[in-house]
Amino acid sequence: MSIFTPTNQIRLTNVAVVRMKKGGKRFEIACYKNKVMSWRSGAEKDLDEVLQTNTVFVNVSKGQVAKKDDLSSAFSTDDVTEVCKQILAKGELQVSDKERQSQLEQMFRDIATIVAEKCVNPETKRPYTVILIERAMKDIHFSVKANKSTKQQALEVIKQLKQSIQIQRAHMRLRFVLPAKDGKRLKQKLRPLIKTVENEEFDDQLEMVCLIDPGCFRDIDELIRCETKGKGTLEVLSLKDVEEGDEKLE
Amino acid sequence: MGHTSLEKIIALQKKTSRIRNLCILAHVDHGGNEYLINLIDSPGHVDFSSEVSTAVRLCDGAIVVVDAIEGVCPQTQVVLRQAWLENIRPVLVINKIDRLIVELKLTSQEAFTHLQKILEQVNAVTGSLFTSKVLEERAEKDAEAQSSCTENSSADQVYDWSAGLEETDDSDLYFSPDRGNVVFASAIDGWGFSIHQFAEMYSQKMGIRSSVLLKTLWGDFYLNAKAKKIMKGAQSKGKKPLFVQLVLDNIWNMYDAVVTRRDKEKVEKMVTSLGLKVMSRDLRHSDPKVLLSAICSQWLPVSRAVLSMVCEKLPCPAEISAERVEKLMSVGARRFDSLPEKTQELKKAFLDCSADETAPVIIFVSKMFAVDSKALPQNKQRPLTQEEIAQRRELARQRHAERQAANQSAESPGSALSVKAAVEEENKEHFVAFARVYSGVVRKGQKVFVLGPKYDPSLALRLPEGCSVADVLPSIPHMACCTVDSLYLLMGRELEELDEVPSGNVLGIGGMEEFILKSATISTSPACPPFTPLNFEATPIVRVAVEPKHPSEMPKLVRGMRLLNQADPCAEVLIQETGEHVLVTAGEVHLQRCLDDLRERFAKIEISASEPIIPFRETVIRPPKMDMVNEDLGKQQKVAVIHQVKEEQMKNPEGVQVDSTGLVTLTTPNKMATVGVRAIPLPEEVTHLLEDNVELIRTMEQFSLFAWEDKTLDINQKILENIQDFKVKLESNLQGHKWREAVERIWAFGPRRCGPNILLNNIEGYRRPSVWQCLEREKETERAEIRDFDNSIVSGFQLATLSGPMCEEPLMGVCFSVETWHMKISTPLAQQDSVDEDSQPAEPSNDDQSESSDVHETSSNRSRSRVGAAGGSVDCYGPFSGQLIAAMKEACRFAFQAKPQRLMAAMYTCEIMATAEVLGRMYAVLSKREGRVLQEEMKEGTDMFIIKAVLPVAESFGFADEIRKRTSGLASPQLVFSHWEVISSDPFWVPTTEEEYLHFGEKADSTNQTLKYMNAVRRRKGLYVEEKIVEHAEKQRTLSKNK
Repeated sequence: MSIFTPTNQIRLTNVAVVRMKKGGKRFEIACYKNKVMSWRSGAEKDLDEVLQTNTVFVNVSKGQVAKKDDLSSAFSTDDVTEVCKQILAKGELQVSDKERQSQLEQMFRDIATIVAEKCVNPETKRPYTVILIERAMKDIHFSVKANKSTKQQALEVIKQLKQSIQIQRAHMRLRFVLPAKDGKRLKQKLRPLIKTVENEEFDDQLEMVCLIDPGCFRDIDELIRCETKGKGTLEVLSLKDVEEGDEKLE
Repeated sequence: MGHTSLEKIIALQKKTSRIRNLCILAHVDHGGNEYLINLIDSPGHVDFSSEVSTAVRLCDGAIVVVDAIEGVCPQTQVVLRQAWLENIRPVLVINKIDRLIVELKLTSQEAFTHLQKILEQVNAVTGSLFTSKVLEERAEKDAEAQSSCTENSSADQVYDWSAGLEETDDSDLYFSPDRGNVVFASAIDGWGFSIHQFAEMYSQKMGIRSSVLLKTLWGDFYLNAKAKKIMKGAQSKGKKPLFVQLVLDNIWNMYDAVVTRRDKEKVEKMVTSLGLKVMSRDLRHSDPKVLLSAICSQWLPVSRAVLSMVCEKLPCPAEISAERVEKLMSVGARRFDSLPEKTQELKKAFLDCSADETAPVIIFVSKMFAVDSKALPQNKQRPLTQEEIAQRRELARQRHAERQAANQSAESPGSALSVKAAVEEENKEHFVAFARVYSGVVRKGQKVFVLGPKYDPSLALRLPEGCSVADVLPSIPHMACCTVDSLYLLMGRELEELDEVPSGNVLGIGGMEEFILKSATISTSPACPPFTPLNFEATPIVRVAVEPKHPSEMPKLVRGMRLLNQADPCAEVLIQETGEHVLVTAGEVHLQRCLDDLRERFAKIEISASEPIIPFRETVIRPPKMDMVNEDLGKQQKVAVIHQVKEEQMKNPEGVQVDSTGLVTLTTPNKMATVGVRAIPLPEEVTHLLEDNVELIRTMEQFSLFAWEDKTLDINQKILENIQDFKVKLESNLQGHKWREAVERIWAFGPRRCGPNILLNNIEGYRRPSVWQCLEREKETERAEIRDFDNSIVSGFQLATLSGPMCEEPLMGVCFSVETWHMKISTPLAQQDSVDEDSQPAEPSNDDQSESSDVHETSSNRSRSRVGAAGGSVDCYGPFSGQLIAAMKEACRFAFQAKPQRLMAAMYTCEIMATAEVLGRMYAVLSKREGRVLQEEMKEGTDMFIIKAVLPVAESFGFADEIRKRTSGLASPQLVFSHWEVISSDPFWVPTTEEEYLHFGEKADSTNQTLKYMNAVRRRKGLYVEEKIVEHAEKQRTLSKNK
């Protein structure tokens, strides 16, 4: 029995392996690096630019090709290209460096955009630009977590940003009309939820215009709906209280 | 000229007739009896022509310096126009004549023709200014005559076809040596002369009367040596003109002897014949220029020539023309006659220019300039930091606010005054107002009114009689009262403190920065009108977005920008709706200076300037009939198109159906409502119409809003008429069977309820109140039914139009027609709801229904969800009204995508004046930046071309600078935003037909400009950009790191 000695090492370079288990068998395909994500997002349309070779393997690094019978039993087709496409779409893969980088970059910008859209500079009541937010996020060394939603992270980052720059969620402007008998009672309950009351009229019914934090909207909405049994009305005057138009500094 | 003592200056300031205020307007580089000459030098670069404007306003006369070789440059024209607009009298200095001799080596004869040409050019500019003014007046007169004619049409009309040019005398406008307003000079060699000097010189020598010589020395005259007579027609007879023979030849000989041939004997002979004394040191000097200037500065000293011309020809402050006064006093389009009587009386004060105690003080401040605090004479000890200034400004601002508040509530301003006194204590200024006294005497400590540019004197005149400055001021907008803290004499960079300044003088006033922003009028009489705003030749065009390096320094930046705005007459700073801080400057050079000022003086922080955000609009168009290689699409075999459509439909999520005509049907997640929407491109005229009538639409919207709440809004008759007019115009533009009754069926405008997009109600059997209901107030008896959730549909439309699917930019020129709207819910919900809620306390599973929409929404966008009445039914998908909003928005977006989509770019119109030789290079720059030439015409009588072009805003960054560079400054563009234009190429275009495959290849490698724009915006906003991480899989660097 002879011992297998490698004559020389063959390294797989520029290869990304996509694996999938189906029908109790493991299937692999050999793809180019940094290309699978583009294929999945639809940016890359040429299959030949994604696949190294039009073959389905059992083990790519050993070069073991999958048997035809296994393929047809697992995928119920023996069209290799079709199988490759299925594996590409659903298989698992090691995300390569550039793919991860671009993904994180995009998320980072996405978070910055959400923050910029939701927040204002409380002094000027004007939004910050995305670039400025990005810079501020870098200043506080914010790192993106790929497995959390961008929105969630945006809300977190707002809290952190408050320590370094003047920033605040843009307020919502509401108007509600409450029947007189509920008015007094409700006002007490609403008070802690309201940031500023802009206008208040109490004659035969209570009419209020106020600014609230957008996070409280649901509570207020519910409160009014439940307490007044549908008699009170709630109107959103503006979802985001910001200055409009250009302002000349003078 | 020796140094003059301060006392002497003060003494001279009191003699109005001995004052000359003038400025040097020069494009070329330049090197200064008992007259007080206030000389204001102004920079020649185009970017700083605002400085010229501020200088010209304060002067009575100007020395226009023209280069003898270059002649009239664009900038020369600009300064001449500025001088003309301000009605100040110019005198001309043709400088650098030595270059004609030494560099160009012209003969004296050639030089004479050359000089004549330059003079003609200058006069042509003045002439055209004059002509345009006369024609304008003429047109005005005609218009008046016409209006009077229409009144009594029976009056026989006699047309006067002469344009009025003949009647108006323009002879004293022109520059002519024999009028004494031209000096020929070579400042570098120290000589300069006017014809007067030579005329006097030769009248003694030749025995011809100097007045005759004066008339004949310039022009086509020659000396007949035999007859000793001066004859006309030198040119035709081939004789030497008198000017050449008597003047230029002498100078040429001098240069020949001194510079070219270095003939010592001849030089000595000339020197003795001229009766000059030249020091032997100069004679022996190796550089002939030294000798030359030694001789010339004695023979024909430039200072004497220029100064005597200035004193003789330029008016003194008291000679201010009535015309100019009227021009200064009438703001904007208001005519002088329409000013209040008291104000008109002030004209006399202007004309008198008296320094009497009784005369009202009138001062105009043309700019504020920042002075290093050390330079201020009274506080050389303690320098003032920028922070303190800003702090003080802030205090002043507060005080101002307080004062206004106090004024408005008509309280006694005691508290405000005490604050003022407290602050005044430490009030040491940094900004000095650059001003001129037009009437009266201004004293230190005097109380005066400061009138802002928008002040209206008629308001003040409603005050009770005898109200003096010291009285408490009721609230009058743009008027403030303050004390003159300190007065300065401006001596170059030095400031000398003065106690009083009589009329006619230029001065600096300290302590005004709280009251004056950029320019203002100061007076003791409230009847004084504010002066007309300065004419700025260079409008600010170069825009950059400025941001601090460290975001926490934002407040510092804002403060710095405010200070910059005050210090620079031509810089504009603004905060845009996007939150960007934009700095607008006149040019790249100016920008650089502004940024440096911000960094080092005003903000003192690190800042970064970047290209400002460029806005786009999204729209749809009719399906194109031609493909990219201009072949008819209909006949060709479509190779890939079928494949593409298939793919697209696969992309659509559940619940969305798109039919072949572009009708999109979409059902809400709870399957309760279905809407069918179609997107239709609006004709271009309609879009323009909508854009122009935003205010009217807003009024209509307001009316509907009030009607919705059972109130009425009073709209005045004129606006109603305008609305009617607008409606008629819309109807005339929306014709054809597709648009039948479209105007009547308009549901809403968007985004923000007044934008250039329309929501059409094409639902059968749904009649809602029209948007035109304000026009039909009388007919309001038959009130149409409004369905519940009507507002959700509108809100969905507003959201969709505010940010389109291409790159979340607003839509423009799109009409969404709602064709079907089915609801499975019975209308009266209210009671049912409340029951519902008791049993099922609103589970917020779809957590952020409202939040997800708020991201895209802005304030004016009101989603009026009436909780009790309408949006009540809650299921697992959140409130129903919210669902419907989202569904409508999505439907609009899909409908939009079902049509050929295009991006619209903001366009600048750009007017470029350029000479013929740089035309080619200018076109190159234009075409490189996707510009398009609209028209090109030659300016009559000059070699200048006026080119009108449009240029996308996206390509304009650095355009002005590039074009100036490429054309050596001979073309200067003016960019003004004009309109939105559809970019014709499709951002999603891929080759589909065979022809296109042949032409572009499978991948269409040539860049798609629209796609580039779109992706840039998407990338900036953090949206998904469809692009591959690596283009070619095989070309990656594949070496692993551990090898």
